[in-house]
Amino acid sequence: MSNRWGLPDLGIGVGLRTVHFGHILANRPPVDWFEVLSENFLDTGGRPLHVLDQVAERYPVALHGVSMSIGSTDPLDLGYLDKLKALADRTRAHWVSDHLCWTGVLGRNTHDLLPMPYTEEALRHTAGRVREVSERLERPLVLENPSSYVQFAGSTMSEWEFLSRLAEQADCGLLLDVNNVFVSAFNHGFDPLEYIAGIPADRVVQYHVAGHTNKGTHILDTHSDHALPEVWELYRRAWARTGPTATLYEWDEDIPEFEVVHAEARKALEHRDTPARSGTISAAVAAR
Amino acid sequence: MTLLPLDRVQRWMHDVVVHPGTVAEALASPAAVPAPAERIEDVLLPSATLTAAERIGIYHAMYPLRMGEALSSDYPALHHFLGDAGFAELVRAYVQAHPSRGYTLNRLGDHLPGFVKTAPGLRRPDFCHDLARLELAITEVFDAPETAPLSEAAIASVPPDDWERAVLTPVAAFRLLSFRYPVNAYLQTVKDDNHDHPKARLKDTWVAVYRRDYAGYRLELSRTAHDLLAELVAGRSLGEALARAARTGGRRAPSEHELFRWFREWVSGGVFGGVTIGSDR
Repeated sequence: MSNRWGLPDLGIGVGLRTVHFGHILANRPPVDWFEVLSENFLDTGGRPLHVLDQVAERYPVALHGVSMSIGSTDPLDLGYLDKLKALADRTRAHWVSDHLCWTGVLGRNTHDLLPMPYTEEALRHTAGRVREVSERLERPLVLENPSSYVQFAGSTMSEWEFLSRLAEQADCGLLLDVNNVFVSAFNHGFDPLEYIAGIPADRVVQYHVAGHTNKGTHILDTHSDHALPEVWELYRRAWARTGPTATLYEWDEDIPEFEVVHAEARKALEHRDTPARSGTISAAVAAR
Repeated sequence: MTLLPLDRVQRWMHDVVVHPGTVAEALASPAAVPAPAERIEDVLLPSATLTAAERIGIYHAMYPLRMGEALSSDYPALHHFLGDAGFAELVRAYVQAHPSRGYTLNRLGDHLPGFVKTAPGLRRPDFCHDLARLELAITEVFDAPETAPLSEAAIASVPPDDWERAVLTPVAAFRLLSFRYPVNAYLQTVKDDNHDHPKARLKDTWVAVYRRDYAGYRLELSRTAHDLLAELVAGRSLGEALARAARTGGRRAPSEHELFRWFREWVSGGVFGGVTIGSDR
């Protein structure tokens, strides 16, 4: 199965990070594609944009943002959206993604990906904004499932039900972060396999895989390490549902050399085709 | 259970997350209305291992760390000067006064130089002010639009007799600064991991910060060179700028040799982006 928009499987990608700029330009590593953190390139005329232009000349790219605040009750920042569209056009980005979250209210930005209460009101509110953003960007918005540390008492549906209904109502794509599924499953005590099974497979246009930090009482989504086998197992199960879909490895703290990140990303190729591991995911989530 | 409207839930959570005190203080503060501490579990569920307050405390704890990381990235020398505890205290006070209002953290620190000048309890605020001004200039130059430096052809196209009326404009990625403290030398020792820092004692210094070929540079200037460059940046013609420098420089008026050396350095460094010939006065 491929996604309903026919957006391409870009292969195995890596996040474009400043510490790797020199290596990428000098060595042109054989990575399939790069994911670009949109906000790092919107207001600069300096080296980052110069490097991005060269990367976009040589590699397919997709934009990934952290400040759209799609679930916020603040008005959408239209100036931001216009700059985002200009960057997407400039880099010929295959798609533009952000997170199902809000980052602030009253004009203030916490720069955190704060979770939504999963209610009918939040669903109506967010779906309307997703449609508005997609029109403004002239392309379907792709939304990533967040990792979260709180659950709202007023939620009336699961996160995967909210995401599925949102994607349907707003006609948006999904970026399925299997590490976030694992983190939230651990923190909230739900079954990650039920989550994976509940996501509309034909709307998934990209995967994220990453490492995290287990603090004992909860897991933090730190993007600071290799992914656990259980996270790869979730990826394998999801891949079996969606078929070939662009996959990206995220490494944002204690970032190692480019080859290490790329090698970690390429593990996706091995995990796709391995037999199912029995019991590992539920055991990991239950170990809390 | 209280089913709060979305805007009230978000307002509440935001106010708790950004509160400068402890989570308990945040939940007890007026900002926590309509979900005060004793009713937090009407809004947030506990997990098997954490109370509702501990769970929102994760976001509350990460907020100052994220702000501190962003500001430290732009102000590494100021961070070094104040130490971890002093810098963390500055960050806590600063983001209360100047919370991020944009989509990027790159602009979070824009008000920091002004803030440190009057920040209560800050060690050596005047020195910190100068150091922060230098570091802000570096970030501004880093992000400024790329404009081409003055080419040899453009220079050669100016007839020798017209140079007196020539007006030189700097590239966009250029800042000219004067300080009361040797903050550029201090910054360099931090970059070099050299612990023999210059003392934070009064000493006038002048620095040009600029970018060429996407690399940033800092050029220490003499006062006379700074004043001449300031006249040029202000849009005065070369002849007028030199005349003013000679008048105000007194015994420090630049020699022909100095002038030649400075211009060679500024032009080859890419400080200037254009030259036009002004009208006769």
